[in-house]
Amino acid sequence: MDNIMINVEDLRREYRRNSIFKRKRRVVKAVDGISFKVMKGEIFGLLGQNGAGKTTTIKMLTTLLAPTSGKCEVLGLKTFGEEKKIRPHINFIFGGEMGVYRRLSARDNLRYFSNLYLIPKKEQNEKIDRILKLVDLYDRADDPAETYSKGMIQRLQIARGLINDPDIIFMDEPTVGLDPVGARMLRDIIRELKKAGKTVLLTTHNLSEVEELCDRIVIINKGRVVAQGTPDEIRGSGETLEDAYVELVKGVNS
Amino acid sequence: MKLRVLTSTMRVQMKQSFARPMYRFCLLANPILNTIVLYGMYRASGESNFMTYVILGAGLMGLWGCICFSSAGDINRERYSGTLALIFATPAGFQSIVLGKILGNTVLSLLTLVISLTAGVLLFGITPVLEDPVYFLIALAALILSFVVISSVIACILTLSRKTELYMNCIEIPLELLCGFVFPVSLLPSGVRAVSYALSPTYAVELLRMSILGVTDRTLFFEKLAILMGLTVLYALFSILLYRRIDCRVRIAATLEVA
Ligand SMILES: Nc1ncnc2c1ncn2[C@@H]1O[C@H](COP(=O)(O)OP(=O)(O)OP(=O)(O)O)[C@@H](O)[C@H]1O
Ligand SMILES: [Mg+2]
Repeated sequence: MDNIMINVEDLRREYRRNSIFKRKRRVVKAVDGISFKVMKGEIFGLLGQNGAGKTTTIKMLTTLLAPTSGKCEVLGLKTFGEEKKIRPHINFIFGGEMGVYRRLSARDNLRYFSNLYLIPKKEQNEKIDRILKLVDLYDRADDPAETYSKGMIQRLQIARGLINDPDIIFMDEPTVGLDPVGARMLRDIIRELKKAGKTVLLTTHNLSEVEELCDRIVIINKGRVVAQGTPDEIRGSGETLEDAYVELVKGVNS
Repeated sequence: MKLRVLTSTMRVQMKQSFARPMYRFCLLANPILNTIVLYGMYRASGESNFMTYVILGAGLMGLWGCICFSSAGDINRERYSGTLALIFATPAGFQSIVLGKILGNTVLSLLTLVISLTAGVLLFGITPVLEDPVYFLIALAALILSFVVISSVIACILTLSRKTELYMNCIEIPLELLCGFVFPVSLLPSGVRAVSYALSPTYAVELLRMSILGVTDRTLFFEKLAILMGLTVLYALFSILLYRRIDCRVRIAATLEVA
């Protein structure tokens, strides 16, 4: 079974906050025993309400956060302990206006990250140009990022996430802030990645996007899995995926 | 391969630092203001050795301020702009990236020495003296090395904590006083002096002064240099140990980002 790209079993993560005023420590169970697998070439959706634990899960998978307990493997390797072997082969895109060097141009941002990903110098220029055209930033590539619109910064994020030609790419609300054309561009990029045999794990609150793109999804609520399967399976006999989603999330909330 | 990480980080760092008005103030205005203040102090006290205490002192204060503030501040800036997690997860290795940042800042910050010299000469007509340029360069190189190693320890600790601003303000001035940047360590109470002699910049500053005034006792110079290098190696080993641990610690403490 070397087709399993992501393997999560009974994964948990707690955040501890020392409060100055209350003597007790506050513990937030952000992820509370979730399990799922993602196969090679799949577009996998991670869905859930705000605060459900999606970003926390992605951070554990991308070697940025240590799990409290449970199995968290990417490419058959532990994300906490064997991260050095994982990092060259993955990348991630977090939605929003963070995560770029605002005083540098798009090109300089990408050049810097290609150096950090140890991409050979002679491949860099050709690669950077190709990616800039792909995300439609080529014309503004030499302006500083602080002069970009929100959507343009988001495109730069996407470009950065592709710089090392990752086998698995994690996207946390990647279409946030993109205009309809930009959102379609990203969906096209995601489908191209799939064609090239890449694996994509994404979160989004846009359910029509999920129906259009995802091969399989898992819905989490308050750190626990409430449903998983193909969008068709989850929709079941209901009208839309949204109806099914609302039912599932409501069921747990009450 | 890793050399490219260092050089590209240095370049990016210098570009970004210089684009910040606060950094430009620290780099360009601080050494001039320090020179004016120290000149006033030393003239009033009847001291005439302006080169070592006024110009070198002002330059060193500026240099340390720039390196200390930017090594600490940069980690926090990266944290708040969301890039800390990104660079942390690259195969480049966090320690190489931090080292590149510090080297970039250091190279840029050396300008403070030139500025305080220019200010001293132009504003107060201080005659530049440098008896032993070769020894001076050796001492300067040793000083830079010790600053770089100390900054890398500071930056590492600050990656773990979000209270960066508080700490860097606590570190800047005490080190300047303890290491004798503006007055000889011998003026400090003996208990405090013990701390001074555990800090490597103290020796570097003494070496710089010796080389400016002329090295009369070579053995003493090289003795101090040896202690300095020994301490620097010790700090460097400590820093390597810290970086080994930090990769785990920050991911347990979740301090790479502001959530
Ligand atoms: N660094 C942190 N310290 C303390 N608590 C945190 C931290 N990060 C997240 N949490 C908490 O963990 C829980 C899950 O957060 P997470 O960011 O994973 O949710 P999410 O599913 O991504 O939500 P959204 O859809 O709003 O992005 C929330 O209750 C949140 O407050
Ligand atoms: Mg989130």
